[in-house]
Amino acid sequence: MKNFLKTLIPVELAKGLLLTGKRFIQVMFSANRGKSKLHLVDEYPEVPAKVQPRFRGRLQLLKDDQGEIICVCCNACVKACPTNAIQIVPGKKEGRKTRVPASYGFEMERCVFCGFCVESCTFNAIALNHQFELAVYNREDMALGLGGVFQSIDKPSPVAKFSYSGEE
Amino acid sequence: MFKSQEMEINMGPQHPSTHGVLRLKLRLDGETVKYCYPVIGYLHRGIEKICENKAFFQGQVWTDRLDYCSAISNNLGWAEAVEKLFGITVPRRAQYLRTMLNELNRLNSHLVWLATHAMDIGALTVFLYCFRDREKILDIFEAFCGSRLTTTAMRIGGLLEDVPEGFDKMVKDALHAVRTGLVEYETLLSENRIWLKRTVGVAKLNADDCMAYGITGPMLRAAGIAYDIRKAHPYAAYGEMQFDVPTRPEADTYARYLVRLEEMRQSVRIIEQCLEGLPEGPVMAKIPKVLKSEVGEVYHPTEAPKGEIGFYLVSEKGGANPYRFHVRAPGFFNAQAIPLMVQDSLVADVIATIGTLDIVLGEIDR
Repeated sequence: MKNFLKTLIPVELAKGLLLTGKRFIQVMFSANRGKSKLHLVDEYPEVPAKVQPRFRGRLQLLKDDQGEIICVCCNACVKACPTNAIQIVPGKKEGRKTRVPASYGFEMERCVFCGFCVESCTFNAIALNHQFELAVYNREDMALGLGGVFQSIDKPSPVAKFSYSGEE
Repeated sequence: MFKSQEMEINMGPQHPSTHGVLRLKLRLDGETVKYCYPVIGYLHRGIEKICENKAFFQGQVWTDRLDYCSAISNNLGWAEAVEKLFGITVPRRAQYLRTMLNELNRLNSHLVWLATHAMDIGALTVFLYCFRDREKILDIFEAFCGSRLTTTAMRIGGLLEDVPEGFDKMVKDALHAVRTGLVEYETLLSENRIWLKRTVGVAKLNADDCMAYGITGPMLRAAGIAYDIRKAHPYAAYGEMQFDVPTRPEADTYARYLVRLEEMRQSVRIIEQCLEGLPEGPVMAKIPKVLKSEVGEVYHPTEAPKGEIGFYLVSEKGGANPYRFHVRAPGFFNAQAIPLMVQDSLVADVIATIGTLDIVLGEIDR
């Protein structure tokens, strides 16, 4: 008899509803109040998303204080890359002892964002920046390089035409 | 006038409840499953063969993509296998941090499992609550490893970097969120009559069958066998940790749910111990820059959230890459039991079966 009454009165369902109701009311009275802890959702495209300092975004060729590319074409990153996403053609430049890359090709389609290239670099010439909005309309835009038809790899500029974050 | 006929239908590979690209051929008599044939291989990428052509340190990138819900466990298993092959000793601080990351990853994986399993059965609220708490754990991964899903967290000989700034607080926040979250999931599910109707006695697999099929992890523990590699063959810093191995005798879907929830509590316990007893020191052992192997072979099993993940490596003399690389994926062995578990059950219970197995097709197809 007691069990029969239990099936009639759904106590455990009511407990669950009470929990969700409590949450609902808490959020209703605190939503849009700015820094409320219960307001969990980021307003992402309107407010730029924050990433952690170690975040691995797309590859970027760094420059020194004089605005020159640091890379000396030692090919360490090419060897470290698991997916062969990097190709370097070494070249020369007047007034510089070391080599400079004539072209530094980076195929982002193949990149797995592991960061092994950055670890292998002993000159701190490359970095994975904080850019993560990497969608493009044309496949060719995925190939990054130096000058010419390529999107520049030495600038932190966004690859996508419309980007909200990554302006540093 | 009326005649009955068995009907064969396909479930998947693009069905949302099949957790990826699993395809099940079902022969039905009305709503009863008479025969089930799982078809796998839709996500095959040849990871084992690729890794045989890559240097030892590069192989880690593909272990991320085996079971993408628990990348760090795969990274850890792979790293320990390679270290065993080369005889490298990892510093104690790195061991502790690895253990901590691995347990955070277990929380992450079990939260995804609970979320998707409950949603398959029809409880959407749990899905949202689980993902709310999982977000905090993913933030920790992002702060520590630089990536949320494909972490590439380990290095041969230790870890790349020490803890980031404010790591303690992040972990404590996440643990608090999980601990309060667990109470909420239990309030929503444990006594819920709909949940009980859909899980109690569904997809039974007794201990003998588990042993016969090579099933490991929470599936095995829910059948009453207290086998956990963290206890049986301690690796990383698990030998110094205090934790229990939860078991249940019922061997059904509800028992697996209880076992996994208890495992999450134990994970929280282990992480707290790691935080308290975190030793000082380096996080990276001194290893040669280029690893050249001798002739040898090694098999190293570790306890991933889904079960025993083992990495088998064969090396040749002077080789820069493994001669043979094999992954013993827990999901593959667990998925073998699907036909047995769904025999003579209803179609709706097939969904519950797939959910309770906690399969990720990335590691089954490899």
